[in-house]
Amino acid sequence: MDNLFALNIIHRPELSPEYAERALGGRKDVRDESLDIFLFQQSAAHENGLKTTIQITYASLFSDKIVEIAKEHHGIYGDEIGLSLLGLPCKQFREKYKTEDFCIWMFDEETKKQIVDDCFSLFFEKFGFYPESTGSYFLDAFTINYIKKKYPSVKCAVATCWEEGPKAYHTCNNSWYTFMDGGPWNPWIPSKVNSHCPASGKEDDSGIVAIPHLSRDLMACFDGNGSNFGTHPQNVLRGMIYYKDGDSVEYPYLYNLIDEYRHLAKYNDGYCYNMMFVGPGWLNRAGRWEAPYELLAKSYRDGMKYYGKLKKEGKCVDMTMSEFADFYRERHPDYRRGECALWKDILYGSDKEYFWYADPALRCCLDFNQGGAMIDLRPYIARIPQETGIGTDSVWDASYPYLIQANYRAGYFTHYAGAGTVKSCKVHYHGQSADLCLCRTMASFRRTEGGVEITADPVTVLLDGLAIVIRSVFFFEDGTGKVLTRREIVNDLHGEEVEFEEYFTGGFGTTEYQPDMTKLTLGVGKEEFPFTYHGKKLSGKGTAHVSIPDVYTRVEMGGEADLCEVEEGIAFSPVYHLRASKKITKGAFETWLRLQREN
Amino acid sequence: MAQAAKGKLNFRCPRCFMRDIDIDMFFDADKKEYYCLRCNFRGTEEEVEALNEQVKEKYGRLRERVTDFGADNRPPVFAPHRRGEQ
Ligand SMILES: [Zn+2]
Repeated sequence: MDNLFALNIIHRPELSPEYAERALGGRKDVRDESLDIFLFQQSAAHENGLKTTIQITYASLFSDKIVEIAKEHHGIYGDEIGLSLLGLPCKQFREKYKTEDFCIWMFDEETKKQIVDDCFSLFFEKFGFYPESTGSYFLDAFTINYIKKKYPSVKCAVATCWEEGPKAYHTCNNSWYTFMDGGPWNPWIPSKVNSHCPASGKEDDSGIVAIPHLSRDLMACFDGNGSNFGTHPQNVLRGMIYYKDGDSVEYPYLYNLIDEYRHLAKYNDGYCYNMMFVGPGWLNRAGRWEAPYELLAKSYRDGMKYYGKLKKEGKCVDMTMSEFADFYRERHPDYRRGECALWKDILYGSDKEYFWYADPALRCCLDFNQGGAMIDLRPYIARIPQETGIGTDSVWDASYPYLIQANYRAGYFTHYAGAGTVKSCKVHYHGQSADLCLCRTMASFRRTEGGVEITADPVTVLLDGLAIVIRSVFFFEDGTGKVLTRREIVNDLHGEEVEFEEYFTGGFGTTEYQPDMTKLTLGVGKEEFPFTYHGKKLSGKGTAHVSIPDVYTRVEMGGEADLCEVEEGIAFSPVYHLRASKKITKGAFETWLRLQREN
Repeated sequence: MAQAAKGKLNFRCPRCFMRDIDIDMFFDADKKEYYCLRCNFRGTEEEVEALNEQVKEKYGRLRERVTDFGADNRPPVFAPHRRGEQ
């Protein structure tokens, strides 16, 4: 298949965008300014030959002018008229719902349904049809299922903002309650049970194609603030990722980022994707993030200009959201195939490389600057039946739980005692040990029968004078929740025996803080014990496993091991350990990690 | 003195920005300086702007354009970015 770079450009008119209202201090011309911003964004796209999806907000449905413009632009430019569940706040909304809340996933179930019905029926009244696309920063499974049942015309939705969670909260001085970590970075078909998880098949298909709210930098956003590193020109300004040349402000990073997304075609059968969705608040006349309006506007025009240039060169196909949904389904007939991204640093000047993988069973990140260590793992196979909003156990936290998150939970490096969450391998020889986390390398990608294989460039471990050259190979099996790891000895050890210890140090949760672990059960083979924070160990010939009822997950690790082991953490280091060890003189040590759903 | 107010461009605290916190500063008209509510930074607009330039030092590729993403196991190839070029 030919490479195809699909692009969605989305504009939402808001008549009282929250940022503008606050920035302008309730000045009277907020309404007119908002309309101007929308018109500016539309013309920036159209001037560059690009079509858009107009996501009408509840507030703007009360404006005949907006409705008229949307119809006109649909007729002239082929823009799609969709309906956003963002932009709820307005006089009518506040009077009716008696609330200052504005995030659809945070309302109670009845109110979610009422708001959806309100928005969709008013949309129908104004346009005479129901929309094919909708969205919010985050859409939970409950809301998607309700929308799809009641308004089956909907086939595409903005449904998450990638890795927006504790990091965004901290960046916003602990005031921004958008916790939605753990979803896919690129479009996916959401499961009916949990919208973060890609559907496993027809019966699990929610009926829509979900897209992220931004195309984000898969390395910069893992550690830094997501809202600085996306295909969103004003995010780039917010991150101060620009330099001045005379009177001009330049931001090559924006183009590098778009290009890196284009490069992902290499790992996804020639398909790659980008979206730009800049809300009007980012373009207000008062300026934002030290940037005057003129710079905000220039950066937006430049973004559109670059996409327009790619389109003219035949390197990009602009689509409306519903067109994209059809295209995506055509291009992804197999639900189980993993979305892949071998991501290189394009910003800081390191040679770091991550491999991101997402399929219906798991999402995972390997860090080749740490020898291919697993630094993030989400058990999608568990289909955790999360509910969010008032009246549930999780009013604002919609993140999908991790088992490993090396930044929230320490990873390789800890202070003084304990261990952080990471999966890696230790090598032992003559009483000395080394962890592959300290072996920096890069890797190559290959699609194989039923999965993908990532091969790290060999690294050298030096123990008691013996150089051991090791190549790590990782195999992700499409949609099964199984990851194979092979540690190959590449050089001749002249009969010396070394021990490989593959290990998985895990936790679970959505934030930096570990919830109580006493519901966990650890075991090797048929022997088991409950988690009590006493550092208890168990080893034997069978498979090492842990059951974590809080996240409906069972983790198993095994392979051609001499010995498997489990160990519970202590109060100071609330984690669990799974290990598989083998002594060899040559050849390879192969282990597998398997995630399963467990009630 | 009268209460402080937002500055003309919503200057964020450069010291807090360096630790990944976006927090708007307020302007003390009497002392003609911006100050942070959270950390102990205070400074003039010029001082803020100078620190904002320091902030960018972490972006080693700030002025570079990727010309080739190269082989999987090689870093991308970069060239100096030229004004106005995309
Ligand atoms: Zn500060």
